[in-house]
Amino acid sequence: MNHSGASGGTRGLSLRRSHWIVLGAVVLGVALIASVLLYLWPVLALLDNRPAVPARGVPAPAKPPPPLDSTQRINILLLGSDNDQKFQQNALLSQTMIVVSIDPKRHQVTLLSLPRDLWVEIPGHPSAKIDLAFAEGGASLARATVERAFKIPIHYYAWIGLNGLVRVVDRLGGVDVDVLHPVLDDNYPNDFSDSGYGTERVFLAAGPQHLDGRHTLQYVRSRHGDLLSDFGRSIRQQQVLLALQQRMAGMDLVTAIPTLARDLNGHVKTDLDLVRLTQLALFMRGMHGGGVHQAFITPYVHDATSADGQQILVANWPAVNAYLRQLFGADLLS
Amino acid sequence: MRPVMGAVLAIAVIVGAGCTSSGTPSHDPGRVVMPVKRVAVPGRLYLTKSRTLYRFAGTRLTALLRGTTVKDPAVSPDGSRLAFVELQAQSSSIVLSDVLGQNRRTITPAAAAEGALWAFAPAFSADGGHIAYLTDRGKQRSSPQNLQPNDLGIWMEDTAGGQPRSLVAPVAYTGGDSDPTFRPGVGDQLLYTSYLYGGVPLQPEARLSWLSVRTGARAYLSPDQARNFEPAISPDGRFVAFIHGSPAGDDLEVMPLEPSYRGDPRPYPTEAAVVLQTGMVSQPVWAPDGSAIAFLKLMNGSFDLFILPVSAGGGQLRATSAAEEVSHGSFLDADSRLAWSP
Repeated sequence: MNHSGASGGTRGLSLRRSHWIVLGAVVLGVALIASVLLYLWPVLALLDNRPAVPARGVPAPAKPPPPLDSTQRINILLLGSDNDQKFQQNALLSQTMIVVSIDPKRHQVTLLSLPRDLWVEIPGHPSAKIDLAFAEGGASLARATVERAFKIPIHYYAWIGLNGLVRVVDRLGGVDVDVLHPVLDDNYPNDFSDSGYGTERVFLAAGPQHLDGRHTLQYVRSRHGDLLSDFGRSIRQQQVLLALQQRMAGMDLVTAIPTLARDLNGHVKTDLDLVRLTQLALFMRGMHGGGVHQAFITPYVHDATSADGQQILVANWPAVNAYLRQLFGADLLS
Repeated sequence: MRPVMGAVLAIAVIVGAGCTSSGTPSHDPGRVVMPVKRVAVPGRLYLTKSRTLYRFAGTRLTALLRGTTVKDPAVSPDGSRLAFVELQAQSSSIVLSDVLGQNRRTITPAAAAEGALWAFAPAFSADGGHIAYLTDRGKQRSSPQNLQPNDLGIWMEDTAGGQPRSLVAPVAYTGGDSDPTFRPGVGDQLLYTSYLYGGVPLQPEARLSWLSVRTGARAYLSPDQARNFEPAISPDGRFVAFIHGSPAGDDLEVMPLEPSYRGDPRPYPTEAAVVLQTGMVSQPVWAPDGSAIAFLKLMNGSFDLFILPVSAGGGQLRATSAAEEVSHGSFLDADSRLAWSP
């Protein structure tokens, strides 16, 4: 009896112990999932910030994104806008348009700047400057316009406003840039004045230096003091993109990503999903300066005046297409 | 469930790939930090950090001119006077003072008939009697409806007072000229950087330039379609250290100087320059005895002060040992000049 009694007691004890183990595992699992969600909640919220369904008449993306395990080229359309108080928030021009083309097979990245004043056909609209596409139909129309004009399949887009850029740079602790020439602008738009209409004087010395968010914005945005005007600005924008990539390469992404995402909510829009974003971030971390090719179509455009009197840029399309074939090879749309 | 799966996958990828920090100091500590092994700085070396002026002397660091927003310190050849830029919200002035920052005298106006003015990069002449600086003085008044260039030109005036005069008028819409520095040992030679555009399509370029203040003769010492800037002349006037910018980095190089120039020398002396330090380097300055060059270099995301011992022999200048780190993770102002006096 004693024996069997002892045996029953032991069984009861081990039963209770296994209950505790299961309960502990469940609590641990729930805590783990909760921690993961808490950690990534800002990122998920940011990536959920997608545009509305494309308006009627806007063509669907020409090609779906390549599968995650593929080595096919991925093209992302980067859009940047003035979004201060003087603009309607749902009709912003895209002052910056850069196609970031990632070629995993060759381990190369091409940055192709598209001039904002370029005169193009906008699907469903009269011909206009390319920056109008984003204002008229958001990212989907900007994507369709680029695909039609340049035959580059755009798999994803990412849009950032003025405040977004400042926040990204500040959150990363600034960027290190070799300022290509002294930047002087007596009539720089005061991006953060209440009305959005003020101006301020800007000076950035030339040479290597560390820029905070506000000065980075001035560097990529000022054009009044630059002989190359918008082209000069494109060069500087690509330079800052590379500096951001280098800055992120030295960072602890595990802790940086959620904070960055929290800061950027409302200032960035993208249709990149979390897994793809992570995949690309890791790819970019492994990139060296030599693997990045900066491209401009400036040699193949010329100044002109539109029928309605706008100062525009007109492309020599055969020359542009030949240049794009050099850059993208067979990856262009037919 | 999809976001949860995505989150878990992303975490796995990030952690699995070992995306941890590679040592970059992500943020400015807000002060000048010395390395564990302190390096003694001979003489007095001036620099700015967050627009505050600091002086290194031996292993001592002293903040000067507290409450004044300072850029581009310069020291007279005898070490008795300072010149610096005092920054206001949207203008700046050149100020002269003694080495403690007392007895200040502002020599350039913050505004004039043409509007608010900038003034930067003061440089003493070899005898300390003149000072050259950059300013947008003489520009036309500009507005958003009537945009006018406001590039920086090089001006000079007596330190004792007197009328300033323009030495070099900038090319419009280039940003203008930069980095004026007098050549020690001679009274009338100035080196500076000309910012221009060249090539097809046009690209920004920076050319080392030589000027005779007396005759107005000028020469380029570096080619077009390249970026060579921030010249610093050795105390004996024989060598010039400068930064050579390229997509690969901003290297510190050094080249010999001829006694004088008649037109552009060919080949350009930069083509035979010796690389002293690679990386992202800025603001070279010579030790008063010519035995070292100090500069700022980007290390782990922060610009810090380094001193490189050098020696001349056989008409060449070479580094005699590796550069020593004087500050560490301090985020010094890399857009502000250094000054070094006995």
